[in-house]
Amino acid sequence: MSATSHACPPAAAFFGFIGAASALVFSNMGAAYGTAKSGVGIAAVGVLRPELIMRSIIPTVMAGILGIYGLIVAVILSGQISLQSYPYYLGFAHLSAGLAMGLSGLAAGICIGVVGDAGVRATAQQPKVFTGFILILIFAEALALYGLIVALILGGKTAPGACT
Amino acid sequence: MDMLTFNADNGYLEAVVRGLKASLLRRQDYTNLAQCESPEDMRTILNSSDYGLWLQNEPAPLQTQALYDCLMNRLVYDFRSIRGQSYAPLSTFLDYVTYPYMIDNLVLLLMGVLRNRDLSELLDKCHPLGLFEGIATLTAIHSPEELYREILVDTPLAPYFAECVNVHDLTEMNVEIIRNLLYKAYLTDFYQLCVERIGGMTGSIMATLIAFEADRRVINITLNSLETSLRKDERMMLFPRVPGGLDDEIIQRLGRADDLQAVAMALDLSSTYRALFQRAAERGEYSLEDQFLEFEMKLLRESFDAQFHYGVFYAYFRMLEQEIRNLTWIAECITQKQFAHASRVVPIL
Repeated sequence: MSATSHACPPAAAFFGFIGAASALVFSNMGAAYGTAKSGVGIAAVGVLRPELIMRSIIPTVMAGILGIYGLIVAVILSGQISLQSYPYYLGFAHLSAGLAMGLSGLAAGICIGVVGDAGVRATAQQPKVFTGFILILIFAEALALYGLIVALILGGKTAPGACT
Repeated sequence: MDMLTFNADNGYLEAVVRGLKASLLRRQDYTNLAQCESPEDMRTILNSSDYGLWLQNEPAPLQTQALYDCLMNRLVYDFRSIRGQSYAPLSTFLDYVTYPYMIDNLVLLLMGVLRNRDLSELLDKCHPLGLFEGIATLTAIHSPEELYREILVDTPLAPYFAECVNVHDLTEMNVEIIRNLLYKAYLTDFYQLCVERIGGMTGSIMATLIAFEADRRVINITLNSLETSLRKDERMMLFPRVPGGLDDEIIQRLGRADDLQAVAMALDLSSTYRALFQRAAERGEYSLEDQFLEFEMKLLRESFDAQFHYGVFYAYFRMLEQEIRNLTWIAECITQKQFAHASRVVPIL
């Protein structure tokens, strides 16, 4: 009936592209929340303690990294999706990869935002809080890293000969 | 579901308040302070607490009034720094916490006007957290309508003044009535804010605290009006009523009470207040007010057992005020050589 076989319908690409999009979109939402929330804290602190501003930028940078993770996964996934020989199996794998990265990035972004805001304000009043605050931020960032690892594993799945 | 969302906006401030509460003075500190010879000795002990920073610029020897001013500066600083960093609805909640100070300042100044005192010296006595615009222009006021039109309409107290429409001229008695009517309207509004508009854990914790405050006002109004010319129906009008407070039956009896015996019989119906009243009667040196304060401190301590609510902010500032009252009491007793009375402070923690 059509050029593509029954085993590899065009609809499979839908799931793959949704996966690529969700990886980017949700990670960016997390990065945006993290940047916004910690940015408010930095603004509050910077008024009276301007010398601490550059130290306090760290949560904003870590939130930005989440967007980069999402970008990496989205680029990799979009390179894997093809017009021919793209079974549902690969479509679902790429969807799950995208969701894994995206929602992990969203969670990490919310965490970095809340911790960044509170930590920056606390560091302004008690400098010894800084070390603990950075450790907590690293644990938060690790959540997105786990999502990235799983997304790369799922995105690396191949199904040779599925469409013949 | 407060657990999920509370820390995003309020986590840092709740942590700050809990840290500040942990640094309040303990019974051991009060025992040490009560053994001082003069307020200057008190400064040595207070230097190791959070007050050290505030006291260091005062010249020796330390006077009671200077001590009080330093302690108040610390309260104002704590309040303003927390209020400055708060988001809504915590910021609204904290604003409501300042309204009683506004009411007290207003009444202080009105009384001063009636007695033809100089307003500028009274302004120094005003509570700094309760200042509002137009507070200095109270000299030109001669009736409640003018008071409302000129000054109160721009302040947060404006909606509470609707209760005072029956008060026609400004006598000393009527100023007290205005105070009680404003406070009654404020308590009802505050209750609505906490329980209906904010709700959640804040609602349940603050409902208990506000109900206690209302009951305490009812009992105090009854006791204070026993010997005055205040009519019974006027007295009932002044009683603040919130859900969870004293039963209708008790309120009716208190409204009709003529002497202390009738008040005691009315309070017999409520187990908590009966116990407080009896303890006040037994221990002659501790008045009913002290019993109320001890009971309030117990309720405030319990509010710290729960998390993710605004009650801890209300509780901390109440506890800090009590600490300031305790410290000034000790300083006064020491200055007047009444060393036995110096240890009669209301313990907070």
